[in-house]
Amino acid sequence: MNGKSAEERAQARAPEMELIREAQAGSRAAFDTLVRQYEQQVLRLALHLTGSEHDAEDIYQEAFLKAYRYIGNFRFECSFYTWIYRIVTNLCLDQLRRKKTRREDHAVYVNHSGDEIDVLASVSDDRSFSNPAKELERKALGERIQLALEKLTPRERMVFELKHYQGLRLRTIGEMLNTTEETAKNTLFRATKKLRAQLAGVR
Amino acid sequence: MNCEVAHERIVTAAYGELADEQTHELERHLATCPECGRDREELLALKVLMAAHPVAEPDANLVARSRLRLEEALDALPPMRWFERLSQKLTNNFASLQAAPVAAGLLLVLGVGAGSLGGYRVAEHRAGQAKAAIAAQIERGAVQPAAVETAGSTAPAEIANISSIVQQPNSHLVEVRYNQLVPQQIEGSLDDPAIRQLLMLASQNSASAGVRDNSVGLLAAECRAGHGCKAQGIRDALMVALRYDKNSGVREKALKGLEPYVAEDQRVRDAMLEALLNDSDPKIRTAAINILQPVEGDTSVRQVLHSVANSDRNPYIRTVSREVLSREPEIQ
Repeated sequence: MNGKSAEERAQARAPEMELIREAQAGSRAAFDTLVRQYEQQVLRLALHLTGSEHDAEDIYQEAFLKAYRYIGNFRFECSFYTWIYRIVTNLCLDQLRRKKTRREDHAVYVNHSGDEIDVLASVSDDRSFSNPAKELERKALGERIQLALEKLTPRERMVFELKHYQGLRLRTIGEMLNTTEETAKNTLFRATKKLRAQLAGVR
Repeated sequence: MNCEVAHERIVTAAYGELADEQTHELERHLATCPECGRDREELLALKVLMAAHPVAEPDANLVARSRLRLEEALDALPPMRWFERLSQKLTNNFASLQAAPVAAGLLLVLGVGAGSLGGYRVAEHRAGQAKAAIAAQIERGAVQPAAVETAGSTAPAEIANISSIVQQPNSHLVEVRYNQLVPQQIEGSLDDPAIRQLLMLASQNSASAGVRDNSVGLLAAECRAGHGCKAQGIRDALMVALRYDKNSGVREKALKGLEPYVAEDQRVRDAMLEALLNDSDPKIRTAAINILQPVEGDTSVRQVLHSVANSDRNPYIRTVSREVLSREPEIQ
């Protein structure tokens, strides 16, 4: 959502209210258009948080089915983007909590067919590709970071993700997680403190 | 400032969420406290380090697969039955009634009053008609069962639906029962909660841009005059109009109505900043720039103005925001 230019967002927003109203009146086509507008962001967030394509796909499915079922309850009191993100963050939090109890260590993404994929290897970096030692070093670093992130509580993980990686404002994060800006700020502080302790000495 | 507070503020500052005044205090503390200086360096190093775990764009196959699965699931859903739709509508209406209990109560009382009065008048009129008809029939010596209207006596201009059709056995007579839509009107002061509720409804639900324009114009004038423009009522309606109305004239009126609350209400400020960033009409964006007043403790105004001044496609908007930034150094 942050990557879009102001013009693009303006174009998307103008007919959005119309689309929501049509979807509320039962139009599948209008709902499908809304899905197209938000699906990339939903998948990006779910994929980065869960580290698994399979989980991200499940969250996508459940989030949009919920949105379809409850779109009649949307009353334009917040932006549609906050509303849909609230659904997604709740599902992601549930998923993180389940994962936390299983204590699985995922240092890599798991794709649809169950194969493990190192996402760092897919990020283009000419220097490291030309230097295998550096590539290995980067891979190990990515794994350390993922482990450190998994040590956070689900809520700390979510606030850090939304702030650091998705660039949302703390006020919006508070709104999405049904809490105050102050609480979101404190959670971010705790998350950075823990991450620094976990990653001390890593450069 | 003690070091504990400084540590918290270092984090908020690193993520661009610290007000300018507090940033200044923090800088002063950091200049004299090497321990907190190290803390900031460590945090900035963490931010750089975390870039080694980047956010990947979802693979096109994953998007296509997820979309397909969702479409299948949606196709398999049974269509919503009428009572489910009704219950959803009722839940919504109940929620909005909760938001405006006084207005809702008044509307209810008005409705019941108007209904009883109308019913009484209609009954009185019909009784008179029936009496006259019976008297005429008695005169002619042929008394027929009354209370059945004959064809041609009503104009079917506003028939909402037909509820039953029964043909009398072995005759050409047909009894049709139908319901009519009756337009209503209400007159009252702008301070009347019922009138306000109707204006708020009109500002969002009317298909006619003229009606929306009139209602938003009146509500905005009330807000500007400071007449009961509460956060949960009219102000919300104006924010919805500013964000979503298709007509730029309506949006402009909503913007003017919200002007007095830009300093005190964070949500108004957000709506104003969104208009500045996203509105399709440069006139409204320019008006939003001029309305944004010094807002202590909120850096978003300055950030948005900076971003618009540096990178907006419209050169006029760039110039105006630059002018505001240079003219109002105290804007936070």
